[in-house]
Amino acid sequence: MAAAAKQAQQLARQLFKLSVVDNVVSTDRVAGVLAYVEKHAPANAVLVLKAYHRLIAVELAKSEARVEHAGAVAPAALAAIAAAMTKKYRRPITATARAHPALLAGLRVRVGDDVYESSVSGQLAALSLSV
Amino acid sequence: MSTVLDQIEQQIAKLSTKAVKKNTGNIRTIADGVAKIDGLSDVMYNEMVAFPGGAIGIALNLEETEVGCVILGDVSKLKEGDEVTTTGKLLSVPVGKALLGRVVDALGNAVDGKGPIDAKETYPVERIAPGIMARKSVNQPLFTGIMAIDSMIPIGRGQRELIIGDRGTGKTTIAIDTIINQAKINKVGLASGDAKFRPVYSIYVAIGQKSSNIVRTVAALEAAGALEYTIIVAATAADNPANQYIAPYSGAAMGEWFMENGMDALIVYDDLSKHAVAYRQISLILKRPSGREAYPGDVFYLHSRLLERAARLDGKGSLTALPIIETLAGDVSAYIPTNVISITDGQIFLETDLFNQGIRPAVSVGLSVSRVGSSAQIKATKQVGGKLKGELAQFRELAAFAQFGSDLDAKTKAQLERGARIVELFKQPAFSPAAIELQVSILFAMQKGFFDPIDAKKVVAAAANMKNFFTTRKDALLTEIRNKAALDKDLEAKLQAACDEWKSGYTA
Repeated sequence: MAAAAKQAQQLARQLFKLSVVDNVVSTDRVAGVLAYVEKHAPANAVLVLKAYHRLIAVELAKSEARVEHAGAVAPAALAAIAAAMTKKYRRPITATARAHPALLAGLRVRVGDDVYESSVSGQLAALSLSV
Repeated sequence: MSTVLDQIEQQIAKLSTKAVKKNTGNIRTIADGVAKIDGLSDVMYNEMVAFPGGAIGIALNLEETEVGCVILGDVSKLKEGDEVTTTGKLLSVPVGKALLGRVVDALGNAVDGKGPIDAKETYPVERIAPGIMARKSVNQPLFTGIMAIDSMIPIGRGQRELIIGDRGTGKTTIAIDTIINQAKINKVGLASGDAKFRPVYSIYVAIGQKSSNIVRTVAALEAAGALEYTIIVAATAADNPANQYIAPYSGAAMGEWFMENGMDALIVYDDLSKHAVAYRQISLILKRPSGREAYPGDVFYLHSRLLERAARLDGKGSLTALPIIETLAGDVSAYIPTNVISITDGQIFLETDLFNQGIRPAVSVGLSVSRVGSSAQIKATKQVGGKLKGELAQFRELAAFAQFGSDLDAKTKAQLERGARIVELFKQPAFSPAAIELQVSILFAMQKGFFDPIDAKKVVAAAANMKNFFTTRKDALLTEIRNKAALDKDLEAKLQAACDEWKSGYTA
């Protein structure tokens, strides 16, 4: 079982490498990979696809700045965030906004695993931990 | 003036609203105190990670798709999907004299109900051991108060001496006796006002023990007045394996503070067998490859990096380690015992047979050794006890041969008689360590044959009587021995006279 999972992981990694062009996930390439898997049905196809899905999801998250906000966010601010993150991570990053009233005020920007906390609730949480 | 203040205020305002970057992940699975986490792409090995609800973890397995973390603290409220963040810090524990007299958990939090600990400093739990150049050779004695050990298997400050034996052979008792003895020496030394006196502070790390045992140990130390010089780090059997794994490193960090600040400290790891078992459990859950006895491949490094932290530093203090290992049916050739034997600078081997025969402490003289040797002994002990180990070894050999026949020459008989008396003389009740000057006096009396006319079965009572005689009536002589630390002709004459006086008044 462990060997099968390892093999599936290796194949998924190879398929993932084929799906990325210039640090960006290519929709066409992903479609091609899916068609290949459907046609050739490699061993442990489900495991391969699950591992592949995880890798693609992680990669897509790196190209998206998810902006959580408590109040209104101007489109110009979103554009500025996207530009700043693109510069910082040296890859094209798009910004998407999502209302999150629990933040009380301010913003929280998530790019991949990185979170930039600039909200009141985040500062209160940090304060409570430091007391 | 106000412009300058405005500028500073603006700077503060700018800093306080600056976004804080965190690296995050999500719990994928959690079981047995170990969490597998998706994300945490920037996490470092051994980095502290924060879980919701204040629990903290340590990143131990960095894999391509996930991070394996051990969780220290309450895991009952954690669930799949919870967000975990990196802290950028190594796990640290409070250190300093504020911890003396307290019982703390593996993270240095007080668990004795005496309120919070006012520690000013923290030390990282994992630290690289001092290098070669920073060290100094071990040549200052650390008295255990146990006559058999101080005279034949001397321990020096900065040494690592293993206490090994089956369950119920008195391993913990030897460690507690040593801690009590340090407290007694500290009290006498500090009261004397000697500027050169260096007290020894103790740290007792209980790993995987029953809570009731720890309570008993605390009570014994408190009753002996030793708790005020001792820190107890408790990771009980009820604690999760991660806490048991980290506890000895936390204790070592607390001990290092004393060492780094020019003081001497003693640390007891009770015991490293349970520590290895806790680490094996964590490693198996983390799916690390297992080797002999299902222990992971780095189980040697687990203990070597811990014990290497005990040292005597040049120009600073020392940290002496007394690790304890529990054997099964006296098998010292098992994996963990052989590992720790090879790491330490000697071992005190306790035998079940001796214990059952009533020879307590049940120290096996043949199998016990101190690689530091007599360099960690005072001259007085060498003078009166230098040949003891050889005499006892000879006695054991002769006693084995004597079982086959009854016709023995006078010399052999005398050796057997002397050996039997030495064995009796070394019997010592638990939690009553003897001061080194008293040990020297008793051994002097034995060497001069004062116990020879006494029946072997009555030697224990006679020795107790002699101890009482010296402590109550020859205090000045004991103080002189303690201060001189060597027996000159004048002292020998005084000791001889005192022993004669005792003999004239003693009736068996």
